[in-house]
Amino acid sequence: MRDPAAGRSAWAAQANADTRDEGATLTYEGPHPFGGETLHRWRLGNGLTVLVLVDVTAPIVAYYTWINVGSRHERPGKTGLAHLFEHLMFGETEKLGAGAFDRKLEEIGAETNAATWVDWTYYHELIPADRIKLTIKLEAERLERLVLKEPQVASEKDVVANERRYRVDDDVEGFASELLYKTAFELHPYHWPTIGWMDDIRGFTPEDCVAFYRTYYAPNNATLVVVGHVRERDILLAIRDAYGRIPRQTVPAEDVAPEPTQLSQRQLSIRKPTTSEKLAVAFKGPALGDADHAALTVLSEVLFGGRASRLYRSLVVERELALDVRGWVSTFRDPGLFECWTTARASHTAAEILPVLDEAFERARMDLVGEEELARAQARLELGAVQQLETMSGKAEQIGFFETVLGDPTHAFHRVQAFRRTTAGDLRRVARRYLLHSARTVLTVVPETGPAPAGAAQ
Amino acid sequence: MKAARGLAAAPLRFELDGGALALLEPSHDVPLVSLVLALRCGSAADPSDRSGLARITMRMLRRGCEGMSAEQTDFRIDALGAEMAVDASPSTVAIHAQVISRNLDAFVDLLVRMLGSPAFHDAELGKLKRESVAEIVEARDSDRVVAHKAMQRTFFAGHPYGQNPGGTTGSVEAIDRDDVVAFHRRYLVKGNVVIAFAGDVTPERAPVLARRLVDALASGDAAPDSVPEPRSPPGRRLLVVDKPERTQTQILVGTMGTSPHDDDHVPLLVSSAIFGGTFTSRLMREVRSKRGWSYGASARAGTDRRRQAWIMWTFPAAQDAAPCLALSLELLETWIASGVTPRETSFIRNYLVRSHAFDVDTAAKRMSQALDVELLSLPADYFTGWVDKVRTVTAESATAAVKNRIRTDSLLAVVVGTASEVLEPLRAAVPRLDEASVVPFDAE
Repeated sequence: MRDPAAGRSAWAAQANADTRDEGATLTYEGPHPFGGETLHRWRLGNGLTVLVLVDVTAPIVAYYTWINVGSRHERPGKTGLAHLFEHLMFGETEKLGAGAFDRKLEEIGAETNAATWVDWTYYHELIPADRIKLTIKLEAERLERLVLKEPQVASEKDVVANERRYRVDDDVEGFASELLYKTAFELHPYHWPTIGWMDDIRGFTPEDCVAFYRTYYAPNNATLVVVGHVRERDILLAIRDAYGRIPRQTVPAEDVAPEPTQLSQRQLSIRKPTTSEKLAVAFKGPALGDADHAALTVLSEVLFGGRASRLYRSLVVERELALDVRGWVSTFRDPGLFECWTTARASHTAAEILPVLDEAFERARMDLVGEEELARAQARLELGAVQQLETMSGKAEQIGFFETVLGDPTHAFHRVQAFRRTTAGDLRRVARRYLLHSARTVLTVVPETGPAPAGAAQ
Repeated sequence: MKAARGLAAAPLRFELDGGALALLEPSHDVPLVSLVLALRCGSAADPSDRSGLARITMRMLRRGCEGMSAEQTDFRIDALGAEMAVDASPSTVAIHAQVISRNLDAFVDLLVRMLGSPAFHDAELGKLKRESVAEIVEARDSDRVVAHKAMQRTFFAGHPYGQNPGGTTGSVEAIDRDDVVAFHRRYLVKGNVVIAFAGDVTPERAPVLARRLVDALASGDAAPDSVPEPRSPPGRRLLVVDKPERTQTQILVGTMGTSPHDDDHVPLLVSSAIFGGTFTSRLMREVRSKRGWSYGASARAGTDRRRQAWIMWTFPAAQDAAPCLALSLELLETWIASGVTPRETSFIRNYLVRSHAFDVDTAAKRMSQALDVELLSLPADYFTGWVDKVRTVTAESATAAVKNRIRTDSLLAVVVGTASEVLEPLRAAVPRLDEASVVPFDAE
């Protein structure tokens, strides 16, 4: 049988024969089985990783650029820089005037957007397949030649300030979530919000932005993910021609302090103009790469996932204390939180709900989950995993996310297998390890018109 | 490697007994099936003092049936790797489900039981009503939702489109078992349902499964379409929805829009896209890119069986609310007076034609379009002919459509903000204002 890896390597050698620039050489690093398909890993000489999944089911391409930078790379006083920078990437470049990047992409029918989170930043385009080459040129242009001057930075700071008002300051849950992380993490950068503190947003200068750009927006700190109706070789040559001349940079080693072990419960309460009390209980959880992460995710599903989950049944259906319950384990590179959120009904309080949650946590620590309950949770998680792979964008996002956070672009499939392997014993073990009273933060939101919260923090 | 397929093909149609219709968009890319069971009527059919009835009735289906309690039903749905939700709009109410394809038959069996022998227990109805009321109250935390609800009930006051599909606290509390049984008996009938499958199911299997679902229903005709054409409310009005401690405002400006049967429907949509439909639109450029006033800015014309509202949306900081509203209105006046340019029209035609691929790139999206044609009584070629119609739009036809349809003498601005801070500046920002009023954010 013909060896596809050897064929790709031979083709790369041929393609490299015409290339004088070492940064533009192509190296095939191997295949990754991706469901019934194959994802191919390539690298340019300047360190740019390229992951290609050919999918011809629709005449479109999802083109994702993942940068290995997020709010974890910021420092106090400069929080929100990674996110502000994501906005600035849609601005002027040496060749393109203000607004031209979006204009050119819209003219070819592309949909474009971006996102920043604690561990990463990504930019994506969904493009008609016959227009991919323009997208590649535009993305390479802004990776290398962004213009960062005062008027653009000032205007975008205002936009981000408005985004913060929308997502945090005037949003009860957004505000509460920010406060939850601020309280749960004291040393690790997960302490501050990705959007940044308002004072920091206002204080950024063009010089801050240039320094950030030169430090992190380097080909050797980025991964391109291409999923769609493409010819792999054509795409690789176009990427080589557009990105190959961009020099690699020295990306500083991470300087992130691990969060010290939490030794006692942290509790706070806030008043907000809301109609109902809200309760968040957050335990310190495992990192995404930890073997416990899948088991704790399954446990979260047993407790909070769907109308047949234990706490939905107990709090929403049977006792009618709450309107909803939600739980999830943060999918961060470093240990994050296992968050449990509930909204009390108008005539009830968080104080009535907390004992019910505690009872459920204690039961998870003491008893084995039944077979049917476990299978129910696993089926829900399998459905969620399949749904994420329904579109080309969904595939590109999964590939890029797991590559950037864990270095494994096919981890979505391994995760489903891990969910399936999880036993009732695993659930009890992780409940005992993570559902610790001493390692949790409890936050209550009280309506301003209601009684004063006990032990109000602010 | 998977085979390439054309995306423009119409879905497979199956005419079933009693006037029921089934649609299929097959795709075997992932082991997943989307299933929609929709009625040819929605919240516009709710009695005015029972708004929310269509949605409540459909939500009651999973809350107990012959031989199964609500709890058992919920557990079974999850265990099959399925999820199920109800969505209601003025013209349709539907069950939307997704299921891992290996369990499709078992899921359809479950749905047959829910449809054919719902228990409608009083106790479960009481629980659902209390849950629904709590949801309505909780939604007041979202300024965006508050703004849209205020626009809908004020702009379409007295018309069925003014009724919220989820109802009000009062209307939901008024619903009783007899209402639910009557709705089920009248509307959950063969002639009033459309069933659609998308995804990993074959053309041989889909009609068999659809027939099983239809056989669970009683015979009956499609609901009559008796919703009158809405009329433009007169005057230029400002409604401030008062909410304490807002650092930001939500601003909606609405006027009467377009009907899918208008000759100039597509030219109006094209012109609206130039005005506020993309990241580089006029509205976005002036409000966000140049001034940084709002994180987002957009304008769009709604589509329904009858004429819907044309609405533009911004959300500036409280101190920028008045200048932002003034600028938005100025841009609106300029758009109507001067129209759009050939260059703008050429640009947006390219965008709309080329981005059409993303409207049809999955089976579920193609199914959704086919369902809209059926349920909203759209012209048969509404989506399949979209690209060709867009290509024929000129600057002249786009300009004429705006002049013909968009009126600024009949206009409603809804602003969610802290009235004591924003009312007077906003009042001054609207030229020729006929009426300004303030309502609390928990008004229904």
